Amino acid sequence: MTDTLLAASDLRLTFGSGAHRVAALRGVSLTLGTAEAIGIVGESGSGKSTLARILVGLQLPDAGTVLFRDRSIYAGRQTYPGALRREVQMVFQDPYGSLNPRMTALAAVAEACRFHDSCSAAEAQARSLELLARMGIGEADSHKKPRQLSGGQRQRVSVARALSARPSILVADEPTSAIDQSAQAQLLNLFRGLLGQGLSIILISHDLAVIRYLTRRVYVMRDGEFVEAGATASVFEAPQHPYTQALIASIPGHQPRIQEPTP
Amino acid sequence: MTAVALEATTASDGNTAGRVGIRVGAAMLGAMLLAGLLVPLLSEYHPNELIAVPLQPPSLQFLFGTDQLGRDVFTRVFSAVYRDLGVAFLGVSIPLVTGTAVGVLLSVSTSRVLVAFVTSLIDAINALPLLVLAIALIALFGPGLQSIIIVLAMTNWARYARIARTRAMLVKQQAYIEAARLQGYPAWRILLRHFLPNVSSETIAYGLSDFILVIMLISGLSYLTLGAAPPTAEWGAMMSEGRPFVQDAWWMTIFPGLALCWAGISLSFITEGLSRRERGGP
Amino acid sequence: MTTKPVTAPLVDVRDLKIGIARGGGDPLVVVDRANFQLHAGEMLGLIGESGSGKTMVCRALIGTLARRGAKVLDGAIRLGALDLVAADEAIWRQVRGRRLGYVPQSALAGLNPVMTIGDQLAEAIAQRPTPNRTNAAAVARELLEIVAIHRPETVLQQYPGQLSGGMRQRIMIACAIAPGPDVIVADEPTTGLDVTVQAGIMQLLRDIRARLGTAIILVSHDLALVDAYCDHVVVMHAGACVESASVSRIASPRHPYTAALNRSRIELAVPGSDLITIAGAPPAVGAWPPGCRFAERCEIVQSDCRRGDHPGLRGLNGHATACLHPDLMVAAE
Repeated sequence: MTDTLLAASDLRLTFGSGAHRVAALRGVSLTLGTAEAIGIVGESGSGKSTLARILVGLQLPDAGTVLFRDRSIYAGRQTYPGALRREVQMVFQDPYGSLNPRMTALAAVAEACRFHDSCSAAEAQARSLELLARMGIGEADSHKKPRQLSGGQRQRVSVARALSARPSILVADEPTSAIDQSAQAQLLNLFRGLLGQGLSIILISHDLAVIRYLTRRVYVMRDGEFVEAGATASVFEAPQHPYTQALIASIPGHQPRIQEPTP
Repeated sequence: MTAVALEATTASDGNTAGRVGIRVGAAMLGAMLLAGLLVPLLSEYHPNELIAVPLQPPSLQFLFGTDQLGRDVFTRVFSAVYRDLGVAFLGVSIPLVTGTAVGVLLSVSTSRVLVAFVTSLIDAINALPLLVLAIALIALFGPGLQSIIIVLAMTNWARYARIARTRAMLVKQQAYIEAARLQGYPAWRILLRHFLPNVSSETIAYGLSDFILVIMLISGLSYLTLGAAPPTAEWGAMMSEGRPFVQDAWWMTIFPGLALCWAGISLSFITEGLSRRERGGP
Repeated sequence: MTTKPVTAPLVDVRDLKIGIARGGGDPLVVVDRANFQLHAGEMLGLIGESGSGKTMVCRALIGTLARRGAKVLDGAIRLGALDLVAADEAIWRQVRGRRLGYVPQSALAGLNPVMTIGDQLAEAIAQRPTPNRTNAAAVARELLEIVAIHRPETVLQQYPGQLSGGMRQRIMIACAIAPGPDVIVADEPTTGLDVTVQAGIMQLLRDIRARLGTAIILVSHDLALVDAYCDHVVVMHAGACVESASVSRIASPRHPYTAALNRSRIELAVPGSDLITIAGAPPAVGAWPPGCRFAERCEIVQSDCRRGDHPGLRGLNGHATACLHPDLMVAAE
């Protein structure tokens, strides 16, 4: 069994106030081990992106704890203080907004390298080029600005930037939704390789095929809570909860006739 | 994949047209700046020197003729280049810097009272036409080019602040800002390297078109004798002085006017070219 | 193995060539060998990655090429006996909606945000060949029932912004079928929708086909979706149709690109081993090499594959392929 790297317990968050209160998270708990990939699958409005932002420290919950290596990530209103900050990084859904439009791919990654390694500009550049190459971004493309790169390339630059912090955990929020099928495959293969090198990944997606391929355990989310959790293979083969069953059944080809939930 | 390629194709049409525009404008502006440097240096006449017979038409000796006091119009027109463009530059850059700073700070401010107050102030200033406001304030400070700069600094910043704030609110939400936070970059770095460049791109673009307006404003105010005081060579002032003589000594108004047009057109080319390049299409 | 019925196709696309106008120069060709036919009551899936030209073909089918600065350079599109390539805007106004319905990718783009659903449906209904105003309300309710929207009375009063993505798409479909077209072109209608909603929409399209006999062209990049719901598949790559076959036959592809697409499907991947990707990328628009455009990445490429024009579709028993050497494929599998 792997050690527990991240443990979230009873996370709650409500948006808005008075009559317009929306409970985004209603008591969510999960664990993540070393070099493990877990999936959080749910449809829009389930709260999975909110959960991702809380786990990564961009958002504070109303209640609940998040422990990284048995230490709380909270220090007052700050999340992941000090040296902890670089441990958990994120890849965002929209490749178009995730890179500074005025910086080249190389500049974006080199900035991170330089910041984390406190090395010279030349060393940072060398390390960034190497990192980008590992992500499949060649030297010529590294000097391009985001608008000259495809969606898949932009996502890989984002991953390179995230990796320059040498994190233990990568949270990927719908990383493949906005890109081509072949770009998706490239990105997923990349993730698999990173898993093999010891990185832990939390993959949030509504794409069941992607979840099934990459993750070992999966949490099924609906309306701010987990309705089912378990080993990916078992959840897919024998879903217990009716919602999970409906999800699995709606994968094209799984069942010719399905009961769709009332709109 | 081809979405990018298609974008690139249509963008390149805009790109070429844009690049041509920028080059033409830059060349025109460059020529003017060069002439503004060389003519006063090489000319035998001082712009304020009363050296000749007044109201002479253009000739080989006095290319643009002489004005009512016998000064060489040619030298005067070109000695005004740096004055006009320089004052306009200050009249744009000071509001741009202060306005952008205010706009950015507003967008990250957590004090609702402060934000409400400042945005109301901005809206109030923006509601008033610039020229009218300028004339009113000049009455306070007295006429002169310095007053114009002060007046512009006091009022024009509000337009930039509004643009900067709107843009900043948008940029604030972008994932790359959040990614920078996740990297642990200190706030100043995020502000200066990620936030500001993406906000100021908008305000600088506005500033370029504002430049033309400000030149017109300066010349306009000077024409109304509220700006440059005689005997200072300044296009608007020269046109004002030439007004009583416009029938007999047309060269006194036409040539400064042409200089004004040249400056305006060259800046228009540059602004239009830049926006075409950004938009990527005709 | 039954042979295909020899009925006239509803939509016949032959050697369609589409180009985008470029300032000063030849148009940029984005599609040059599109060939397929849609028969009555059929659901045809037009599959391709981004850049394959499928979106352009879609636009050509509904006549919106001109808005994008593109035009048909060669070839033909026939809707029954009507030549759509030569059609001017007046003819298109007659055709669009009445004979050819359209479901766009984003229902938000297709619906007017400041009109109620009821009003928009009424507009669509009024396009019927014989509009009967007194009946419009009843027709609207019937349409909402067909697209499985519960509480139709409430929905008719609402605005698009108040509905979920799935419901909006159902309304779009209702608007599309309202005038009673024979053909509907659905351009990636389920992109961005949740899986369960997607399944519902696809099921709806299938129901419409069964109930109303409408033929549907589904443009998509999702092979699994097309596989599950369509009758016939046309695969596009770099501006050309490279394979055209029934869904059952496409499982044994006769073009290396289709085979590669099949193999690289994530659903079929084995967790724990690398995803099979198609190495390289399709040639960029404007830089198409002579001959077959998949040649660079093809495992069974031969010398004649790189010469001449892009091969056209040639068929055996209703399974057409643009590959010059499909027989070599079995050996490579």
